[in-house]
Amino acid sequence: MIPAKKVLNTLNEHWSVLELLFKRFKMSDFSIKDVQNFIKLKNPNWSSERVYKETNRLLNQEIIIPLAKSSQLEINRAVADFASFLLQEEHLGLAEEITVLVKDLQRLGERLSQAGNEGDHSELRRFSRIMDERVRKIVKLFQHNESAILNLVEQAKSDHSNLSLKRRYQAVIEAFDEYIEPMLEMVDIHGPFQACFSQIELQISEQITQIEQLGRGAHDKRMLEQLRTRILDMHLIGRESLGKSADMLMPLREELRRNTLITRQAAKVLGLIRKNGVDRMLSPVQPDFVSDIQRFNLGQKRHMVAYMASLAEFEHEEYQLPDHDDVPAYQSPNIPDYQDVRKSFSSSGKKRTALLGFLSDSYPKLEADEMLFLYQKLISDPDLSVTQSDSQESMQLANTKIKLYPFSASEHTESDAEKAKQ
Amino acid sequence: MTQINLNDLSQLQAINKKLAGGYHISEQDTTLWQELDQHIEAYQALFAALGHDLQHDARGFYYLASDESTPNMGKISRAIALTVFILIEYYANQGKDPLRALFDEQIDLELMQTLIQLNKHLFDQLEIFSGSDLRKDVFLRMLRLGLCKETERGFILLAPVYRYIDALMEVNEDNFEALEEEV
Repeated sequence: MIPAKKVLNTLNEHWSVLELLFKRFKMSDFSIKDVQNFIKLKNPNWSSERVYKETNRLLNQEIIIPLAKSSQLEINRAVADFASFLLQEEHLGLAEEITVLVKDLQRLGERLSQAGNEGDHSELRRFSRIMDERVRKIVKLFQHNESAILNLVEQAKSDHSNLSLKRRYQAVIEAFDEYIEPMLEMVDIHGPFQACFSQIELQISEQITQIEQLGRGAHDKRMLEQLRTRILDMHLIGRESLGKSADMLMPLREELRRNTLITRQAAKVLGLIRKNGVDRMLSPVQPDFVSDIQRFNLGQKRHMVAYMASLAEFEHEEYQLPDHDDVPAYQSPNIPDYQDVRKSFSSSGKKRTALLGFLSDSYPKLEADEMLFLYQKLISDPDLSVTQSDSQESMQLANTKIKLYPFSASEHTESDAEKAKQ
Repeated sequence: MTQINLNDLSQLQAINKKLAGGYHISEQDTTLWQELDQHIEAYQALFAALGHDLQHDARGFYYLASDESTPNMGKISRAIALTVFILIEYYANQGKDPLRALFDEQIDLELMQTLIQLNKHLFDQLEIFSGSDLRKDVFLRMLRLGLCKETERGFILLAPVYRYIDALMEVNEDNFEALEEEV
């Protein structure tokens, strides 16, 4: 058995080292080298022999203890709990912990009233004491969790803008979902805690009246009264603590929600912009600015000067329609009028043979393409009936040699005779 | 009937000049902001009589609200809106808290170039082709409108940018579905 005072002295002496160990390694293990390094760090002018001695002192007094089957060390759990209480480095407990304790309290309450009914005073006292202990424990848990949440909030708020939003607020969301919400449900005015506490209160009150009526055990009465007050107080503390915690977490949760909302919205709107074009998407929503300068003023002095200068040089120019003389005279192509050609062709009578032959005989001055134009007009004329020969012929037309299946006229009865000749 | 003592409104000229140019007076313009803060009712009445709507936003800025815009201002506003939305997306993609980063981080030329590279086809539609275009056409204009302030290394956005965040959230509420149906 190590004397408590000795341990406290060592703790006092090496508090800075222990604090560092606790903060650096939390609940995980570390090597003896780490401890020595920390001692050296905190006491730079100590010799290595002294450092070795002090490390052994920590080990001997079981402030740091070796892990089972390992050369690694850890802080004695009792010391770690004490340190975490002192440093307020508390971790959020579970709502379940408190629920279990409250249920236990209910069970004990039943046992207490049973003992009271049976007149077993020593049992009554025993249960009263256990219940008292439980109540203290619950109150401690509430306070513990409250400071844990405070830590969480501070961590989340402290500037780690390089940390992802989700990770930064993960602890907050977890705390909210796993502790605050179930607990708030529990301590709600119609929740299970309330029912449980009022039942316990009723049981204790019954015992107190019984003691009063029987006039025995004034000491027990006082103890029960105290317990009853403590339980009521605990309920109040719990409600207040949870309320405070929720108030601290709520703004962060809102912030996170707002942020994710904005991000999602930005992605959605940008997606729409990509699909529909910037102007179309943004025109209806963009904020408008008052811009009197642009609405009412022409501009700055230099703009005015430039504008006036261009006004001074302004000349009104009339639009001039073209004169009649300017229109170039129409030059008809060299082709004779088709009606004339047709007439002369119809009246050519027996003389006409092949169409092209007729044309080249009658209009020797025409170019080959002009001649072909007339030829084409004649053969497509609905009033003249023409037939096409089956054999290909080549002939000289103006200066051009062409090959074709020539059309010949077959109109009148005379032409039938002609056809027979052919 | 509000009694306005013009002698009390010592900054009237400066305030009018700024506001009429579309400028947002936020807390960094200490003198003007304090003046408006103290005599907000008088200023509001005065501007209302002149046909303006002086708005006080609880997030810390004053501006003249307007529901119509010259085509040129409309285009500028559109470019600013696009830039702000893209910045939000950019910060969120970086895993940062977008709202915090939007008002805390400096926007330097390098970031502007990155933004342009990432969203070239969007900025192309507004005829902004490079980081320096973005600086000139958007950030210098935002400076003139009181939406940001210039620092040694770049620009820092100011509270009036919330008007654009409001606009962003507004898309959700009514225009969104209507626009989609229209498409």
